[in-house]
Amino acid sequence: MEFLTSKKLRHNQRAPLALKVIALISAFLFACPAIYLVWRNITSDSDPLGVLFSEQTLSPLMRTINLTILVTLSAAILGTGLAWLTIRTDMPSRRILKIILPLPLVFPTFVGAAAFIRTLNPGGLANNLVEKIGIEKTLELHGLFGAWLVLTLFTYPYVFLPVAARLKNLSSSLEESARLLGDSSWSTFRKVVLPQIASSLLAGSLLVFLYTISDFGAVQFMRYDTLTRAIWTTRLNNQPVSFALALILLTLAAVAVIIETFVSRRFRKPDATTQVETVLISLGKWKPIAITASWLIVFLALITPTIALGDWAADGLLREFRGGRPLFIDFKDIIEPTINTAWISMLTALIAAAIVLPVSYLVAKYRSSIGNTANAIMTSTFAMPGLLIALSMFFWTLKTSWAAEHLRGTIIILIFAYLVRFSAQALGPAKASVASIPPSLEDASQVLGASKFKRFFTIDIPVVTPGLLAGSGLVLMSTMKELPITLLVAPFEFPTLTTKIFQSFEDAFVAEGGLLALILVLLSAILTWILVIRQADHLA
Amino acid sequence: MKTNRKIILSSLICLTVISTSCSSSSNKRAELSDRAAEIVQGDCAKDAGKEVTIYSGRSEYLISPILEAFACESGIDVRVRWGSSTDLAILINEEGKSTEADVFLSRSPGPVGFLEGNNLLGSVDGSVLSLVEKQNHAASGSWIGFSGRKRVLVHNVDQVSPDELPKSVFELTDPKYRNRVAIPGTNGSFEDWFTVFRDQHGNETATKWLNDMVENGAKYYPNNRSIVEAAGRGEIDMGLVNHYYNYQEAAALGSEHRAENYNFPSDDIGSLLIITAATILATAEDKEASNELVAYLLTPQAQAYFSNKTFEYPLAKGTKPNPVLPVLEALEIGSVDFDSLGGGFEETERIVRESGILN
Repeated sequence: MEFLTSKKLRHNQRAPLALKVIALISAFLFACPAIYLVWRNITSDSDPLGVLFSEQTLSPLMRTINLTILVTLSAAILGTGLAWLTIRTDMPSRRILKIILPLPLVFPTFVGAAAFIRTLNPGGLANNLVEKIGIEKTLELHGLFGAWLVLTLFTYPYVFLPVAARLKNLSSSLEESARLLGDSSWSTFRKVVLPQIASSLLAGSLLVFLYTISDFGAVQFMRYDTLTRAIWTTRLNNQPVSFALALILLTLAAVAVIIETFVSRRFRKPDATTQVETVLISLGKWKPIAITASWLIVFLALITPTIALGDWAADGLLREFRGGRPLFIDFKDIIEPTINTAWISMLTALIAAAIVLPVSYLVAKYRSSIGNTANAIMTSTFAMPGLLIALSMFFWTLKTSWAAEHLRGTIIILIFAYLVRFSAQALGPAKASVASIPPSLEDASQVLGASKFKRFFTIDIPVVTPGLLAGSGLVLMSTMKELPITLLVAPFEFPTLTTKIFQSFEDAFVAEGGLLALILVLLSAILTWILVIRQADHLA
Repeated sequence: MKTNRKIILSSLICLTVISTSCSSSSNKRAELSDRAAEIVQGDCAKDAGKEVTIYSGRSEYLISPILEAFACESGIDVRVRWGSSTDLAILINEEGKSTEADVFLSRSPGPVGFLEGNNLLGSVDGSVLSLVEKQNHAASGSWIGFSGRKRVLVHNVDQVSPDELPKSVFELTDPKYRNRVAIPGTNGSFEDWFTVFRDQHGNETATKWLNDMVENGAKYYPNNRSIVEAAGRGEIDMGLVNHYYNYQEAAALGSEHRAENYNFPSDDIGSLLIITAATILATAEDKEASNELVAYLLTPQAQAYFSNKTFEYPLAKGTKPNPVLPVLEALEIGSVDFDSLGGGFEETERIVRESGILN
């Protein structure tokens, strides 16, 4: 009965006009790159439908779909499993794991894939090691398997972070009851835990899906010919085809977003409380297996590429003592890009959190159609190739001489381009958090006469914050490693760590690249820890 | 929260210290990086109050000392947007008339051909063009070469014996090279090379060669550098690349790097020289300063830098390549007549894709 009243109350609530206006403006701004893409399809006489059904498109498209389904499934399983282990069980070392498990997200795939190849492929570091102990088996990462492995290891944090945030915010009492009543662990998980984390899991999986269809670095290095590679190889010499292929990619993304919206609605809204006394599940005899599996993932996704980077960096640092070519970079060449990277990514993450909140409320609380439209637009653009977002920034700013003069090549446009590319990552977790605001609490406070603002700060904010932080954390790490937009849109003389790393790997300056990439990983770990993980711990 | 603020604050202080330490010094010569200081002959010129904007597809590590030296010697400010030649050419095309670029430096001819096709290039002054042989600049003056990279076969010295090395790229389709050759199918220089290959030997022969290579198990790598690195490690036996990456890799890794270049005979298409080009945009604001910059790339000091530091072939008349590099035969220089290739790149891209090398 109580449930019914609260539901009724919610439906009677109409979304505040201010929220709708903000969402409309955001949606319009975020749609600009997509409008540019459609416009270019028209002006360059592209034939998206003709291109879609050509052999040239169909096989890369099928490969993209194959790869994406595989990566999404494996990242969903891996991310959820690890989140559950680190949040809900007594697994030793889970505190440190909680901090380092999201970190693989920080590797730009072009660096990550190269590092993987360096470590694991024939003649690589791991190979030399096993050869020394007499094993002559050579594994060579490439094709579907290689791309799947690298992308799974670099994208599971998209699921891990929101699901972990969700689990932390959920009462474990139902779970305990189920166990007391004799349910097995697996059936408890399936019947009790899964429905409660479903919306976070879906949101995270959608991000993996969109990331994978738009990834270029991993498929390029692993020689798996997907749609993004076709877009890339045709971009100079056959622009109409490139634009058409990009439109097909964006359409695929939009379809996935719409499907996710409908599927996630079918799930019961979870109950959440802010102060949770979680009882940790004892793993018992499973403990060794759980620890081994978790650390194996850390080893593969974080330590393996880091070893390669470290090897490159060490080579460069030692080289000087051996009389080889000294490093091309000095202290100043490291400090300036590090500072630039740090502040621009923090600022972007902060703005992303602010921008996605209104839309999250419209979607998750008021179920407004304006909210759903804004949500679909802001999420799909995550799959848009960075180069196209960058070009669209020029296209639109050059429409008026005022914008050309005051916006082109400024930090404002750079941050806006980052937001278009990455806000989706904050939006998913934010929606899940808003949806988890307990209606009973809200109704009660409303009845008790608390003002809107008071309710927002005392009820909503504490519930929403962990998810929102996790989401901004994703934006933070993605912005730190972004390359194509940064190269073209950033102001002149605005070096970042990734642009420097890119320059290093272009011309065999692997020592410099390795060193800078290590700094990127370290900086990302520090910022994520200070700004996301520690805060979330305080609040939960 | 307190710690956060402290970190941000200290970062800001760092930033201020750096910027002030730069601007407070009055002696410009002393501000130059070591590498730029090696290039600059005399003192820095007075500020000319001019600025040139460069979009550079040549990477920062290798060319920024020269640009810095130019700024010092000419008094002209330089600002640079770094990126891949292809992406920068696409950007210039998107910006059209309002592009900020005055000068575009390309790693390879493809992007230059693209800009020329879209009528975005102006012309380099005759006095500058005359600094190179006439086959090293466009007849129309729209581009000028300032350094060259030779196509070679890089190979792992432990896995490939000298007598196994082929006399021509055509031999690489032989079964004895099965699964042993790497091709950077989507790389700009490779596309340029293959376009010239098609031009010289005919479409049919070139296409058949590539298809036979794929049939023979040739392997795709994303770029020259990854092939050189893989050959040095022994992951692949050999690969078709530009010559200078191996010198860079060897300079960086020393004896650990187990790969060397092999030069095809000079009449073989496999030993083509590919030019890196400078262009001045049709919309360049200060044509004079732009020409001054392009001319600087061809001064003896800049050419010596390319030759000694980046191991490229200098192109200015009268300059000698680094003695460690194999001597170029007269035939090789300028054999890339990319004016005549025009729309050939689109066709190249199609043939490469259809060959299946990308998988």
